[in-house]
Amino acid sequence: MVNDTERNYRVYVVGFYVLLLGAWQLLFSLKLIPDYLFPSPLAVAKRLWELGADGSLWPSIKATLVRMAVGFSVSAGAGLVIGVVMGMSRIVNRCLKSLFLGLQTLPTAAWVPISLLIFGLSDWGIYFVIIMSSVAAVAIATSDRILHIPPMYLRAALTLGTPGYAMPFRVILPAALPGIVTGIKLGWTLGWHGAVSAELIKSTVGLGYLLYMGRELNDAAQVLGIMVLTILFGLLLDRFLFGQIEQRIRVRRGLERGH
Amino acid sequence: MDAQEIAASPVKLRLSKVTKTYRTGAQVVEALQPVDLEIREGEYVVLFGPSGCGKSTLLNLIAGFEAPTTGEITLDDQVIERPGSDRLMMFQEHALFPWLNVIENVMYGLKWQRAYRFRRRRRRERAMELLKLVHVDEFAKARIHELSGGMKQRVALVRALAPDPKVLLIDEPFPALDALVRAKLYTELQDILVRTRKTIVSVTHDPREAACLGDRVLVFSGRPGRVCAEITIDLPRPRDINDPVVAECAGQITAQLESAHG
Repeated sequence: MVNDTERNYRVYVVGFYVLLLGAWQLLFSLKLIPDYLFPSPLAVAKRLWELGADGSLWPSIKATLVRMAVGFSVSAGAGLVIGVVMGMSRIVNRCLKSLFLGLQTLPTAAWVPISLLIFGLSDWGIYFVIIMSSVAAVAIATSDRILHIPPMYLRAALTLGTPGYAMPFRVILPAALPGIVTGIKLGWTLGWHGAVSAELIKSTVGLGYLLYMGRELNDAAQVLGIMVLTILFGLLLDRFLFGQIEQRIRVRRGLERGH
Repeated sequence: MDAQEIAASPVKLRLSKVTKTYRTGAQVVEALQPVDLEIREGEYVVLFGPSGCGKSTLLNLIAGFEAPTTGEITLDDQVIERPGSDRLMMFQEHALFPWLNVIENVMYGLKWQRAYRFRRRRRRERAMELLKLVHVDEFAKARIHELSGGMKQRVALVRALAPDPKVLLIDEPFPALDALVRAKLYTELQDILVRTRKTIVSVTHDPREAACLGDRVLVFSGRPGRVCAEITIDLPRPRDINDPVVAECAGQITAQLESAHG
């Protein structure tokens, strides 16, 4: 259900984007920057349409999404397992946390050169970059949430007779779930950065590749268009896939009011 | 049960020379001086005292969350080593699991009981019976946060009763509820207690509550924690917390605590 204030906000948001496009068009019309460097919104849309029509756009979107689906599934799975182990053993946590925090300071694109050296131009290198970009975020979020589970839930589970082997799946993971989903969301964003960065250099298909080709061909409209698409897809999945899951969990637990 | 019946019942819990000290760095804090205590089957024992007097520590030791520094606690002559559903603890905050709905919370503890292990339908039936007992059955499918404070405490109570524990441990029954709801819950608790003949140990700092619920009240004095008095309350049940006789007993309990602190 959408209530009145929510609808009002949407009007503002749509208005904001219309204004933004208008400002872009205005900047273009003033001819401050040569139009081959700074195309109009219409030219960008037209270029995207052409890319779609000649069949080079869709395979690239698909390639990037498939790489993300596969790479990030592996990464999220591994991150969860590592995070649970970190959350249950203080020693493992102490050792791995500093390492992972360190790795997180590394820009995702910094994984590309080493992946080129190890994997050459094969697709494995892109998976490698996606995984390395996101696994630490998922593991840290998972372990942090587990370490912050109110002790009362663990005690309640124990006094109710929960055997040790059942604790991770019956109590620890469910109790930490809202935080874990937030970590997975963050991991997805970082993985998305990694995927596009890797495709810039070492692929013949993908959104990153189209960006790279746009630059090679001095086609600013293509570069801007693909950037907008990359943002849109990233946002779409973040908001409407992970965001929805996250919100549903939070509403079920009374951490957030449902709309 | 009246005092005579209790005296004739077998000993359920036995604490012999139980102490607890905590070590934090160079500091050694004596939380509990030696306690000797026998609690009989069907008896309701209240541990009463100011905060920091060791009464909650004692409850945690019986629950098995912590081990005594010296001494031994036995349940039916078996030494207590770890937490378990034979000495089920109810917590100050209800501690219901927010990832499960109401009935799933009540069913949860049954899953680990042999008689219910792979019988989901039986678990559900038993949980439903218990929810009816405390009049929350209409909310069986509700989420925990949708319940009122009083309903949460009722669900927590039947969740604890579900696995049929030998001993029920209650850390501050029904805090943070308004007086009306509390009074009602005290009556319900006594009603269930009479029906199920559970052995109960609860902790409180409210003398009225101690007088209303306990067959026996152990008065604790603080720092280091020790038992300074023991009062037997032989009033018929169910007792009303607002009954003047209960208030009179509460006065005696408070007087004992005051004289201990001199």
